[in-house]
Amino acid sequence: MKKIFLEGAIPSEFIADSIAKHQSKHSIGAHNIFLGQVRADEVDGKKVSAIEFTAYEEMALEKAHEIREAAFEKFDLTCLHIYHSLGNVAVGGVCIFVFVSAPRRKQVYEATEWLVNQVKTEVPIFGKEIFENEESQWKVNS
Amino acid sequence: MIQVKYFGMIAEATSKEEEKIDVGEKPFSEILSEISSKYQLGDLSYQVAVNKKLVSDFSKLQLEEGDEVAFLPPFSGG
Repeated sequence: MKKIFLEGAIPSEFIADSIAKHQSKHSIGAHNIFLGQVRADEVDGKKVSAIEFTAYEEMALEKAHEIREAAFEKFDLTCLHIYHSLGNVAVGGVCIFVFVSAPRRKQVYEATEWLVNQVKTEVPIFGKEIFENEESQWKVNS
Repeated sequence: MIQVKYFGMIAEATSKEEEKIDVGEKPFSEILSEISSKYQLGDLSYQVAVNKKLVSDFSKLQLEEGDEVAFLPPFSGG
């Protein structure tokens, strides 16, 4: 089972390294990347300062594995990677990184959107929005 | 004994992340309603997973020793 979780925000260096690692795979002609960034939402005058992520990790890894398998069935992909943060990610931090590679471009656009939707709806990850005044509320995906 | 795990807002309501429960021969639906009333989970939205698979039909399920039951509030990753 591939790991998907990283503690804290996903560093830019990690993303850059992931791209670099694919340059030796010469059947790839197109990459597409989705990065989700923690937004400073405002609720009743309170501003979000961070999101605290927890997960049912064992089930999340199984689910991510199923999603990977389904994506390879559905789209003509060379490889794909899914990473998600656990723990605290301050606003501006990247909390999800989905990276899709294929011989041609059409497939990567479709696959990326499908994958991000699947992660949001099928993987047991729970976000808690922490406000600047230290109050909090559970995040609801729209 | 079964292992019960709580996540997100459910873990806040139960004030614990996991516990072991002796369920004997009780049907699964009865175990769920006992947990729900013990921690007053009635107003909260959640799904239940058994051994990491979401369960939709509780009536057909009989738990076995060592099973893992998880209470999962709405997913909000990404």
